[in-house]
Amino acid sequence: MAVFELWRSENWGSKNWAFSIFLSILLLHCIAIVLFTSGFLLTRTELSQFSRCSDVFESPCFRNQESGLGKCWTKPAVDRVVIIVLDALRFDFVAPSTFFEEKKPWMDKLQVLHKLTSQLGSSAKIFKAIADPPTTSLQRMKGLTTGGLPTFIDVGNSFGAPAIVEDNLIHQLVQNGKRVVMMGDDTWLQCFPHHFNKSYPFPSFNVKDLDTVDNGCTEHLFPTLYEKEWDVLIAHYLGVDHAGHIFGVDSTPMIDKLEQYNNILEKVVDVLVSQSGSGGLHENTLLLVMGDHGQTLNGDHGGGSPEEVETSIFAMSMQPPPASTELDTSYCKLDLAGREVCVDFIEQLDFAATLSALLGVPFPYGSIGRINPVLYALGPGTWNRETHIEGNCQQTDKEAWMHNYVDALCINSWQVKKYIDVYSASSVIGFSKEDLLQVTEMYTQAEKSNFNRVNDSVQYKVESCHSSVTDLKRQIDLYDKFLASVAELARTKWTEFNLEIMAIGFGFMLISIAIHFLVIKRLENLQQASSVSNGSCRMSLNAIFAYLFVAIRACSVLSNSYILEEGKVAAFLLATTAILCLRSSILNKKLLTEAIAFILLISILRFTIELGLSKQATNSSLLTVHLSWILRIDKGSSVGTYITEIVPILAMTILAYLLHKSMAHRYCPSITRYVIKGTIFSYMLIGVQWILESDLISFSHIGIKANIIPRMIYAIGVAQLLSLVLGRLVRGKNLTGWKDGILLNTVAMLSAWSSTVIVLSGKQGAFVALASIAGGWLILRLQGMEQNSNNGKYGTISLYSASVTQWSLLAACLFFGTGHWCAFDGLRYAAAFIGFDEFNLIRQAILLTIETFGFSLLLPIFGLPLLVIYNYDFNQNKHPKRLLFMQLSQVFLMYGLVTTITVTFTIICVTIQRRHLMVWGLFAPKFVFDVAGLILTDFLICAASLFIFE
Amino acid sequence: MEKAEKKLKLSTNSNSTLLPISSLYTFILHTICGLGLALAYWVAHNVYSVSLVNDPTQTLRLIWVIEAPIVILLFSGFRQHPNQCSYIKAVGRGLLGLPAGAIVNALGAIALGAPVGIQHFSKTANWSILMSVFTIVPTASVFGSSWIEWRRIFAHAKPNGPIDLLICLPAHGAVIGAWFGAWPMPLDWERPWQEWPICVSFGAMAGYMVGIVASFSISLFQKHLKKE
Repeated sequence: MAVFELWRSENWGSKNWAFSIFLSILLLHCIAIVLFTSGFLLTRTELSQFSRCSDVFESPCFRNQESGLGKCWTKPAVDRVVIIVLDALRFDFVAPSTFFEEKKPWMDKLQVLHKLTSQLGSSAKIFKAIADPPTTSLQRMKGLTTGGLPTFIDVGNSFGAPAIVEDNLIHQLVQNGKRVVMMGDDTWLQCFPHHFNKSYPFPSFNVKDLDTVDNGCTEHLFPTLYEKEWDVLIAHYLGVDHAGHIFGVDSTPMIDKLEQYNNILEKVVDVLVSQSGSGGLHENTLLLVMGDHGQTLNGDHGGGSPEEVETSIFAMSMQPPPASTELDTSYCKLDLAGREVCVDFIEQLDFAATLSALLGVPFPYGSIGRINPVLYALGPGTWNRETHIEGNCQQTDKEAWMHNYVDALCINSWQVKKYIDVYSASSVIGFSKEDLLQVTEMYTQAEKSNFNRVNDSVQYKVESCHSSVTDLKRQIDLYDKFLASVAELARTKWTEFNLEIMAIGFGFMLISIAIHFLVIKRLENLQQASSVSNGSCRMSLNAIFAYLFVAIRACSVLSNSYILEEGKVAAFLLATTAILCLRSSILNKKLLTEAIAFILLISILRFTIELGLSKQATNSSLLTVHLSWILRIDKGSSVGTYITEIVPILAMTILAYLLHKSMAHRYCPSITRYVIKGTIFSYMLIGVQWILESDLISFSHIGIKANIIPRMIYAIGVAQLLSLVLGRLVRGKNLTGWKDGILLNTVAMLSAWSSTVIVLSGKQGAFVALASIAGGWLILRLQGMEQNSNNGKYGTISLYSASVTQWSLLAACLFFGTGHWCAFDGLRYAAAFIGFDEFNLIRQAILLTIETFGFSLLLPIFGLPLLVIYNYDFNQNKHPKRLLFMQLSQVFLMYGLVTTITVTFTIICVTIQRRHLMVWGLFAPKFVFDVAGLILTDFLICAASLFIFE
Repeated sequence: MEKAEKKLKLSTNSNSTLLPISSLYTFILHTICGLGLALAYWVAHNVYSVSLVNDPTQTLRLIWVIEAPIVILLFSGFRQHPNQCSYIKAVGRGLLGLPAGAIVNALGAIALGAPVGIQHFSKTANWSILMSVFTIVPTASVFGSSWIEWRRIFAHAKPNGPIDLLICLPAHGAVIGAWFGAWPMPLDWERPWQEWPICVSFGAMAGYMVGIVASFSISLFQKHLKKE
């Protein structure tokens, strides 16, 4: 009903009306974005706890055993592990071609694995390993080592940095005295910078280089195999991944790579087997050859398609196990050579838990995997049972193994349960109550049954010898059920998008666009009804171009390439509008200089945007943004130093002069005058600050702390804003005449913000401020020319759409031109600490927001009223005031609409690309930035409407 | 071509400022402009065995070296006020227009985001000379420094008569084509033709051709209307 009243209301253009419209749009966007985000951005909180050996005594698994001494969580079952990671190893690279419908050229190349699997019986196994999306190398590495399900936002200490700080397998190994050697892909070193005893990293950056990593890896692998000084060896080969990215799977380089790996693996196995005698180096070694994820036939990965998630693990123990466990789910077939090859099944989620159990280290705290029985059975140590516990009852190998497995599962389940509980208690978005209750029930049941079983076996030792196999099997099933349900719960929580909620959120965005359109149109009709001149509804050519550019810019976010070069796209479109302006200024024989100046300004902006992009590419520290970059002056020369120090101060002087001049010719109410004077004083302070910072003169002896000046500027800014707002409240009706009043208010508002924005942006701020003033003024001038030449031929929509589009494109250019980009490493964290040394979340977040969006949102939106006032003909109409405010709301709505359309397309884009390789690297950060920008835009429009409207 | 030009001269009415042309000449005119470009590309491809993709600088140079004389000589024949302005003078205006137009085009391209640097200089220079041949040179030959006519052609985009059409439409076509041609440049397809200025040149040439076809069809259509 409220909406209906708003629509029928007579007060279109009044302050209350405008505020309620803008507020409802803000709320609508909030709802839309909260809904969409909760369906799209899967979040998981990283817990900072680490598992320790002693933790296990809290578990119910050691009740009547004092024999926990000497071992940690589980008894070590293997001494050494060799892990060879072949990046992007498809399952069909490993399994015999008979497992598939058709033999393809890249199949059956790793013959050595087939041979070993069939020859040695069950001491070598091929597993089909299922990875969880996102199947990118970094996320998979994290998943494999932590035993969890990494998501886009793993909220934790490592925000932005690649190092894995969550509890993980490598950390546990190091913590428990295992020595780890790494060779190959240098991503491991980024993830675990201080963990390896020895490392031979090779750069993984160059995708076109198929051999450097692999050859380097091989070169170090064989000598290391003969060494004693390690317990776990990790060799990460990248060739297959790179070959896939460049040539695709069905290509000669790929087949060459696979054949090369076949030779390497053959040699590795030879070395291991030759040393596996009693007392040999590799007597109790486990060899694992595994992929981290699969790839499509084109070599892409990152998504969740079967080709991408299906990879493989080959495991081989140097000692054949004594019996079969009957727990394997293997699937056997004859390969082309007539050998029987069996394939088992494992989930990558289980890898960390299983390997921890085999090596006898605590499971990573956040692991939710289950110990895989088949892989666990490959550890020779899992077949021995301490006889004194079972008394004189003679056990078969199988029973002993099952006992061990149940004990391990007991610890496994206890650890997973503990993690789930702690996670739900500590995380903001935990699991739902019902799910938790169900899982807890399963766990209690399994635990109770285990308790009874152990008690029974203690009391009736003799019977237990015979009944134990079925009991143990039942017990294993109970634990399995619990662990499987936890994994399923975690998967729905952490890896599946909720498409319905996303669609509803998207629907709200569409509604908001429709509201924008309707209100703008209605304002237009109302204006025409009340105005004398009858503007037609026809669209001017420039307006049509403006719509075209908004559409192009919106559509450009659908492609990852255009997102990367978004700044260039904005500059390209802005330059095109400028050229069109030049054309019409030639047509009108007016303002030729202004049009050319506008083009020149955009050309300069364009270069600063490219500078920003190059910074993004090299990812260099943003602290070093200096004028010398922009002017390309050699910092060493003294003239250059002088210029870099003096020119920004000169720019500040010009700014202060312009501000002074803007005030000089008009009668100002005292508040506005004081505000503007305050800004000029702030500018002087900024100049002083820069002189103090400069290397030219040493002011260190003066003893002014560097923080004082920025803090003063913030304080002046806050005081200015407060006095402006209070002034508005107290005065109520503007005495000076509303025409100048609005203009002065706008200028005062802009000036109040500008000093803070400039001091946060550093020395480039002065230039950017000048550029934005110049750009804004030129847009105003050129718009005025259009307005005069049209002379009421077209309605206000087409009058303002060209200039509003230019305004928003200019804002986008300024965002990228100031060295920002839509990624979290594009934030200039250092700016948040200008004026402050200690960290305070809210304060620093506000400063960072002002720095990031200052030139691209704050100033443009508060400056929007200028678009209307500057060229407004006050004598034209009977109700100049009402029409002015109608046009003002129209302009604000149009600006909001442009932003909303862009964000809507970003939403479409992330929905389409949600399983894309770059989704977490590129699309999702872009989404977060756009959404933050949209909410801020709406909020600022609300604030501006409160401040400006009467 | 020279012959055609002489014939045209004979048939001109010495008082008129714009030459009335028969539809046959319109056709010949359009065909020569279009074929000139095609011939240039053919020569580059088959005689010098270079293409835009593998050697953009040389190909662009070849194309403008062939196309520029055709355009200048051809359009100088249709100069405005043929009595006050000799053929040689018109050719001179065209030659003068060539570098001037190149500078304008290069500046425009740089404003829009064309790469700047010594390694790009020769490519940009050749490209902008070619663009100048498409856009500025014909106007310079025909109208010289008459600002009113320039405004009519480029700002108003109101051509009257086949020569105006032949100046205006291909020029606009080339600019718009080049503008669209820049679109694939940021894409990550890693194709060699995405480099500056290859796809932009393709776009410009395609736009030019479309402009020629459009101008021919429109001039035919207009004639048809007049007859009726």
